[in-house]
Amino acid sequence: MTVPAAFQVPDSADVPGSSEEADPLERLLGAVRHHVEGLNGPGMPALRRLRVASGAVSVEIEWDPLQDVVPPVAEPVDAPDPLGEVSGLLTVRAPAVGTFYRAREPEAPPFVEVGDIVQANAQVGILETMKLMSALNAERAGRIIELPVPDGAPVEYDQVLAVMEPVGE
Amino acid sequence: MTVPPMISSVLVANRGEIAVRIIRTCREMGIRTVAVHSTADRDAAHTRLADERVHIGPAPARRSYLNPAAILAAAQHTGVEAVHPGYGFLSEDPDFAEICVDHGLIFVGPPAPVLADLGDKARAREIASKAGLPVLPGGGTAVEDVERARRTADDIGHPVIVKAAAGGGGRGMAVVDRPEDFSRVFEETRATARNLFGDPRLYVERFLPAARHIEVQVLVDAYGTGVHLGARDCSIQRRRQKLLEETPPPGLPADLIERMGAAALRAALAVGYEGAATYEFLVDEDGAFYFMEVNCRIQVEHPITEMVTGIDIVREQLAIASGRPLPESILRSAPRGVAIECRINTEDPVRGFLPTAGALTDFQAPGGPFVRVDTHAEPGMTVTADYDPLLAKIIVWGPDRETAIDRMGRALHETRVAGAGLSTTRDFLAEVLTDPCYRHAAHTTAFVDDRAHRRSE
Repeated sequence: MTVPAAFQVPDSADVPGSSEEADPLERLLGAVRHHVEGLNGPGMPALRRLRVASGAVSVEIEWDPLQDVVPPVAEPVDAPDPLGEVSGLLTVRAPAVGTFYRAREPEAPPFVEVGDIVQANAQVGILETMKLMSALNAERAGRIIELPVPDGAPVEYDQVLAVMEPVGE
Repeated sequence: MTVPPMISSVLVANRGEIAVRIIRTCREMGIRTVAVHSTADRDAAHTRLADERVHIGPAPARRSYLNPAAILAAAQHTGVEAVHPGYGFLSEDPDFAEICVDHGLIFVGPPAPVLADLGDKARAREIASKAGLPVLPGGGTAVEDVERARRTADDIGHPVIVKAAAGGGGRGMAVVDRPEDFSRVFEETRATARNLFGDPRLYVERFLPAARHIEVQVLVDAYGTGVHLGARDCSIQRRRQKLLEETPPPGLPADLIERMGAAALRAALAVGYEGAATYEFLVDEDGAFYFMEVNCRIQVEHPITEMVTGIDIVREQLAIASGRPLPESILRSAPRGVAIECRINTEDPVRGFLPTAGALTDFQAPGGPFVRVDTHAEPGMTVTADYDPLLAKIIVWGPDRETAIDRMGRALHETRVAGAGLSTTRDFLAEVLTDPCYRHAAHTTAFVDDRAHRRSE
């Protein structure tokens, strides 16, 4: 569920922690933080993805599906992929063009290795698009059977970053 | 002065026929190309013609071709030197132009501040007026307030046209015939403008019901040297979307075209333009011309100018963006003959040019002498509702207008296009060619609507 929302930057007085002399970018981020906190309040589903575009300020927010909606499962591998012949596999794919990181920092251990069994929502990597970092999570529990993209490699939209086989069901 | 080297690699931030067209010139120039594509365009022609391709997002343009972050990331990953935006999408977005430059990329188009100035249609009108271009009577500044706008309209006299300051390409404007309709139409147009462009400001101008839409192609290099490449008649349009274009404009005196060209070039130089621009004008029955707007990009109908001048406008855009001065051969070019373009859109002329979608089962482009086809179409492709309905442009050249029209008739006759659920403008355009009004060059911007009405009566 993607809900595009456009926000005006409120007067600095409306934004906690901002001041008159704050840099416009800081003010903008403050405003966004302020709005997101409001949107993340009680009764709202958990936030999943946040995208801030500069220019004519646009903020895109993706919420987790509401409870009464059938939760989406990890997409089955598409036919064009070489892996597609094997049915029943799960994938984690790039939600945007960017750079894929397998670890939080250069020296840190990777989030996952081939053979690991991960829980649903476990982080498997980070995607960086124009300095915006987003966490990449497994949508379902499974065993990692392939990590086809090396750390720090550029990836396309929808590129397979991790292949998993389902476990424990 | 040493001539700077030509750009060596270009990312084409577009799709469809214009992406194909840009990639073709790049290939001829030995420039490495990167195509970007959405999921819907996975198998599209432009992705196959380019040297590299990057999948940038899902089908909706907002998340692919209109997504600056995705395009910038693709440019960085492929290490290109420049971005060519084509037309539509991000081509006239000053923020995008600026972001490209901030990331060390050459934006093939005018500088961002010039885009910002000319992109605000009300401001562009003011700038043009200061540069000596005649404008129609009307409100020079964009107003949100209906009462102020109504006073302007009453001063001008109806019919008037209200236009979105952030509009362009024929969207976000409406004609008001009677004073009592003004408030309603103004408010509707304001809502449309807010929805389409996120900017509700409108301005008011006198409306000319029976005018010709004439535009001037201009090229200006980074050293303030420019040239105009003559004019195009784009009067055959429905709801301000062009269907057929022709150069030179038939029945217009050569000295009028020359005066319009010189005025447009002067205005472009005054605003510090760089690259290819189109100055759009209305010409009334008395031969008076009025500035409408500037298109700061390559234009859909640019090939007809290329056909009569022999100048590859995309090549010149790339040369200008590389910092090269316009060569003498371009500055002294002289047009020869007549060229016509017909737009084969996947629209249904019988149902008010409603876009249609479906799988293209048959597509055969015309060929033969002096026929050019710019298209991304091929049998088996799917036309989706996600993008512009332009399927192919058929362009012909002839030594005179009579020959060119007959040649276009022949080319349309050869064109085969079919698919379940798909309708096209082909037959409608073939009828235009045989219409005595068009044959005698007595057509105006009212031509298509007049015929649509006649048909429905």
